Amino acid sequence: MSTGHSKAAKEFLKNQTYAKWHDATFWAVRSKRDNMAYGLDEWEQLREKASQIKRHTITHLDEYLDQFATNAEKNGCIVHWAKDANEFNEIVYGILKNHNVKKIVKSKSMLTEECGMNPYLEEHGIEVVETDLGERIIQLKGQAPSHIVMPAIHLNHDDVGELFEEKLGSEKGNHDPTYLTYVARLSLRNEFLTADAGMTGGNFGIAETGDIVVCTNEGNADMSTSCPKLHIAAIGLEKIIPNYDCLAVFQRMLCRAGTGQPTTTFTSHFRKARPTAHPMHIVLVDNGRSEWIGNPEHWEALKCIRCGSCMNTCPVYRRSGGYSYSYFIPGPIGINLGMLRDPQKHSGNVSACTLCNSCQTVCPAKVNLGDQIYLWRQQLDEFGTANPEKKLICKGLGTVYGSSGIYNLGTALAHWANIIPSPLMNCGLNPWAEGHKMMEFPKKPFHKLIKEIEK
Amino acid sequence: MSNKEDILKKYRANVREKYDMPDLSDIKAITYNDPLVQFIKMTESVGGHVIEVKEGQDINELVKEMYPDAKEIASNLPEVTIATRNPDTVGRARDLNGTDVGIIRGQFGVAENACVWIPQTMKEKAVCFISENLVILLPKSQIVNNMHEAYKRIKFDETYDGYGTFISGPSKTADIAQVLVMGAQAARSATILLLPE
Repeated sequence: MSTGHSKAAKEFLKNQTYAKWHDATFWAVRSKRDNMAYGLDEWEQLREKASQIKRHTITHLDEYLDQFATNAEKNGCIVHWAKDANEFNEIVYGILKNHNVKKIVKSKSMLTEECGMNPYLEEHGIEVVETDLGERIIQLKGQAPSHIVMPAIHLNHDDVGELFEEKLGSEKGNHDPTYLTYVARLSLRNEFLTADAGMTGGNFGIAETGDIVVCTNEGNADMSTSCPKLHIAAIGLEKIIPNYDCLAVFQRMLCRAGTGQPTTTFTSHFRKARPTAHPMHIVLVDNGRSEWIGNPEHWEALKCIRCGSCMNTCPVYRRSGGYSYSYFIPGPIGINLGMLRDPQKHSGNVSACTLCNSCQTVCPAKVNLGDQIYLWRQQLDEFGTANPEKKLICKGLGTVYGSSGIYNLGTALAHWANIIPSPLMNCGLNPWAEGHKMMEFPKKPFHKLIKEIEK
Repeated sequence: MSNKEDILKKYRANVREKYDMPDLSDIKAITYNDPLVQFIKMTESVGGHVIEVKEGQDINELVKEMYPDAKEIASNLPEVTIATRNPDTVGRARDLNGTDVGIIRGQFGVAENACVWIPQTMKEKAVCFISENLVILLPKSQIVNNMHEAYKRIKFDETYDGYGTFISGPSKTADIAQVLVMGAQAARSATILLLPE
């Protein structure tokens, strides 16, 4: 009866020391977020405004996209439109080929991850160097991110130390995070200076000015675009917002919600190429978004600003890690985006939720993440991904709950199950006993107790 | 290749219900009795340093005192006379690599999060990131409370009108085992010199 997620989570939980560290680390990030939120009286007001701005913007996105593109072109940028991942990769490769680019440095972008851009470019002979430290680590390791903001959170300093010894020639046995960060700094410095192009994602696109706004702590987006003569920015359609007044709301929330900092170190506005560089290219990517907006129950997933707070707080993510999910974005938002992308492939994730709704309580854009996961579960039969055993059980329970006679008989007799010897109940044949002990049934069912009290 | 119209047409056709833009003028954003005090506190909490420059004090002397071993100092500011490199006249941006101290100007600071608005005012903006240590000159009267006020004020430079950034403290990362390290890819230290009127 196990889903893909629970099978993968079992692997994650084999290393209990690490699993506990993972859980505690993300809970600490959640607590930092709370401190930030409680430090502003207007926090809940900001969340409500953020949600309303996003609802407005994504339901008028055709107008704002047009305005954004018009202004970006007026600024001197070259704007491209990609309907899907394939087109996006072809466009980026085309630009790089035109400029005879051999190597690009890039800042973190979940969009390029979504489109599989790195492997595509590498197949076409272009060297791609990730410059966010976490992204660089997993790139050297040949892995995918396990969190959208902290991509290398699944590795400890010894893992990174050993990796750097092998790949970057760091001192043997020196696994001090400060030392390792400087080793990466030196190595990346060389990449920044020798790359032919820099690529960034975009946290926001501003319709009124044509700015691409990128938020980083490391300054790697700025380094990536300060030396190379070509800048390509890739941005999903839904990242466009109307103006600076709206941006102020999101800038204040993005980092407070995501990492518990008052701001990212850098909030950079790219309006056009620097005077000594080629014109800047902006690639706007649809890749499903224009369909998702039409989904009556799930369109609000497009409000997401990718802060990561929903995964930080999620009790299931904290205890199962990013690799337990089949979609490349884990946690509550990843469950929903995965289902929008391909429900047949990603249905295994919808059970990775206790419906505690902590995610939608912290989400700065008020995406109804937990409610959406609940709704996806109702559709599994339609997708042909419902579990046959669970279906059978639900049918059986439907009969029990549908008839007070059967229900009362059942609860009256249930306590006889207590005398079944534990090894028979808590064994591999009983899927409910996996990971927890079976409950003891009370001798007096609740209905009987209540009736006695009422007498 | 797809064109803009195809994508916009498809998107437009799939939108179901339209929502209005909320009124943002009623946001009760945080303000401070003394924004400057809050700005200094926040700058220190994000790992930056703040020095209040006294009336008549020479910035060049101050920087030399702060970084006695600095060999390469980059700046295009007229009041900086100790610069060995100028981001306006370097051949290539990468020639600024190896800068020990970069000195730039900030327009205004934001009390709630220590951001300083830095529009590009030099040919090569690399100086803002590539320098090992960053020194930002900021008039101390120019502090706003929060980002709402900040975004009403930001302006790009007239000559270099393509880029501007908010910087809050030094470059940092916690990507290795969540240990905070200052100096990821950009400046390892950031010092705000608060200038008198």
